[in-house]
Amino acid sequence: MADEKRTPSPMDRVWNFFTSVKLAIFTLIVLAVTSILGTIIEQNQPPEKYHQIYEDWAFALMDRINLFDMYHSVWFLLILVLFTVNLSCCTIDRFPKMLRVVRNPRTKLDENLAKTLSLSDRWKKKGTLSEWAGKYAEALSASFAKPKVTEEGGAVHLYAETGVASRFGVYVTHLSIIVIFIGAILGNVLGFKGFVNIPEGEAVAQIPVRGGTRTQDLGFTVRCNAFSLETYPSGQPKAYKSDLSIIDGGREVLRKTIVVNDPLQYQGIWFYQSSYGQAGGATAQVTVTRKDGTPMGAFALSANEPVPIDGYGIVRGVNYSENFQGNGPALQVTVEKPGKPAASFWLFQGGPDLDRQRNDSIVFSFGGLSSKMFTGLQVAKDPGVNIVWVGCALMVIGLIMAFFLSHQRVWVRLAQGTDGRVEVVLAGSASRNRLAFEKRFEKLQTGVKAVEK
Amino acid sequence: MSNIILFNLTTVLFGVASASYLGALYAKNGKIAVAGTWVCLIAAVVSTAALGVRWYESYQMGIGRIPVTNLYESLVFFAWAVNLFYLIVERKYRNRTFGAFVMPIAFFTMVFAVYNDSSIQPLVPALQSYWLHAHVITCFVGYAAFAVSAGVALMYLLKSKQEAAKINKGVVGLLPPCKMLDDLVYRAIIWGFPFLTVGIITGAAWANYAWGTYWSWDPKETWSLIVWLVYALFLHARVTRGWHGRRAAIISIVGFLATVMCYLGVNLVLSGLHSYGGS
Repeated sequence: MADEKRTPSPMDRVWNFFTSVKLAIFTLIVLAVTSILGTIIEQNQPPEKYHQIYEDWAFALMDRINLFDMYHSVWFLLILVLFTVNLSCCTIDRFPKMLRVVRNPRTKLDENLAKTLSLSDRWKKKGTLSEWAGKYAEALSASFAKPKVTEEGGAVHLYAETGVASRFGVYVTHLSIIVIFIGAILGNVLGFKGFVNIPEGEAVAQIPVRGGTRTQDLGFTVRCNAFSLETYPSGQPKAYKSDLSIIDGGREVLRKTIVVNDPLQYQGIWFYQSSYGQAGGATAQVTVTRKDGTPMGAFALSANEPVPIDGYGIVRGVNYSENFQGNGPALQVTVEKPGKPAASFWLFQGGPDLDRQRNDSIVFSFGGLSSKMFTGLQVAKDPGVNIVWVGCALMVIGLIMAFFLSHQRVWVRLAQGTDGRVEVVLAGSASRNRLAFEKRFEKLQTGVKAVEK
Repeated sequence: MSNIILFNLTTVLFGVASASYLGALYAKNGKIAVAGTWVCLIAAVVSTAALGVRWYESYQMGIGRIPVTNLYESLVFFAWAVNLFYLIVERKYRNRTFGAFVMPIAFFTMVFAVYNDSSIQPLVPALQSYWLHAHVITCFVGYAAFAVSAGVALMYLLKSKQEAAKINKGVVGLLPPCKMLDDLVYRAIIWGFPFLTVGIITGAAWANYAWGTYWSWDPKETWSLIVWLVYALFLHARVTRGWHGRRAAIISIVGFLATVMCYLGVNLVLSGLHSYGGS
């Protein structure tokens, strides 16, 4: 027997290893230290960038051990697994013991227990045991908590406790970490993240995910109606706005103007304003009217792109000037009519009717250049995110329980003394913040002692 | 700008308070330390007024935003919180020697702030969120608690050597007993740790609302996790044989150094999504 105690079985040793706080200390240190690496080495950059910084052999080595995407590497995940296993084993090992203690508290104040408690007091009272037991139970209920009364061997024991929840704080906190991990895994397996640029007026139904290696069907279409940029008077950006429409089953089901910090959500898929830019080159807005004034519509001319006009000819925008011959912005166009040499002339933004002077069957007027923008959207679906938030809430609750609650216990033992008087012992203990409990105990002590018949 | 004048006055007051506490230790004169307490109280009023005035002035400029959005403002808010935290500790523990180890942190933070751009700038789109308030305030209250803890941990390291040798003399002799210092190192952390946790969570919630990812391992996030891990380590070390006492005090100091790295180092040395915090 003695030998067995000295040499625990291999299973016990493994269990003791995984349930030790020393392992927790070790894993916390390893996690903290290795995490630093990924903040010094920029993560997920193109290989060319790394080649500029590191020698070939260093690059090969670092790439081999996944240092360029270390937080998703197998070895880092293994440390996280070790951390989680340690956490779980500690809980499995300690939680039932704690629960047993909480469920079956030591309700009797025997001499052994009384000796271990630093806060205690003794006094004697004239009267009967049951009378004083009742009085003190009342006093404890009023100023501390309702006591549990046990009678044994001619003595009456009162036991009262508050803040039992404090004992659970550490388990709630540990559980919360596991809940957060479950949420994160669910999000990674079932969700996706992607990025898409949508030019104004265009729509997409698919987005590239996982760095463009795969395409994700949205199951509906998202259209960018317009993008606009607002600036402060100083020129700093104030707001990026995208007017988005969701088209599902051929009709618009949702329309919202999103800005940074105010995304759009449809069917669990979120669209976040992320970036913007100019889509392609600028186009020139040109309105066309007949000589008699009948409108014929408007065109957007891209540079050198031929636009045919029925029964007239082919029009091209060939040149643009910010300030042509001192007359402001102007567009140079060429017109090719069938069987005639190409004619070239300038249209002034400031003079919409000036083209009449050309005395042609059609009058052009230039409305100015417009550049088409695109909006850059972050697209994400994360079915695990709410589980993560539940985990976060649990963590905060657990920490508050663990740090700011204290399991405070108070015992009273009443026994018939040899001199006919009732011998009373009062004792107390707190799981934490003993200084505060001392003050509370002193108050309780004076209160209880002052109780009269 | 009147808020700048008030902040500069705060800097001077923190300097005077630090000098008083250090002088009181050096001269073994408690009366000088009492003066330090009064200066700290005045500084608390002045710095609170300065934050209020800065907030008000931002509205007058037509910008209207909470004064915790750039490096200058976060530094002065941190110093403000350290001073308040210190005053609470001094009152609760009825000991003024802590001031010599804590108030210089507030003073040097303000000196550093003075060298940074103090103008009130409008918020870029990414910062226009109510999460900003909760995130920055909780983080910096946490940081302030860690600063106090590290200052006291340093006192513990000085004192524990003397206590081990059973001598009680010199400046170190004036410091409170190790038991009290150890308790205070721990107490400051159990306040700081939940605040840091809420700070990280509100940051994650904000990131999720702005970018669609609650965690992207950018250097700022990673460093906040490192800080969190170090203090988690402290909490476990304290209940493990062979790890409490001096080792726990050292972990508290390492934790504060990691906090400084997370707060300043990441912006000044590394790059990432949090870059607006650095200007």
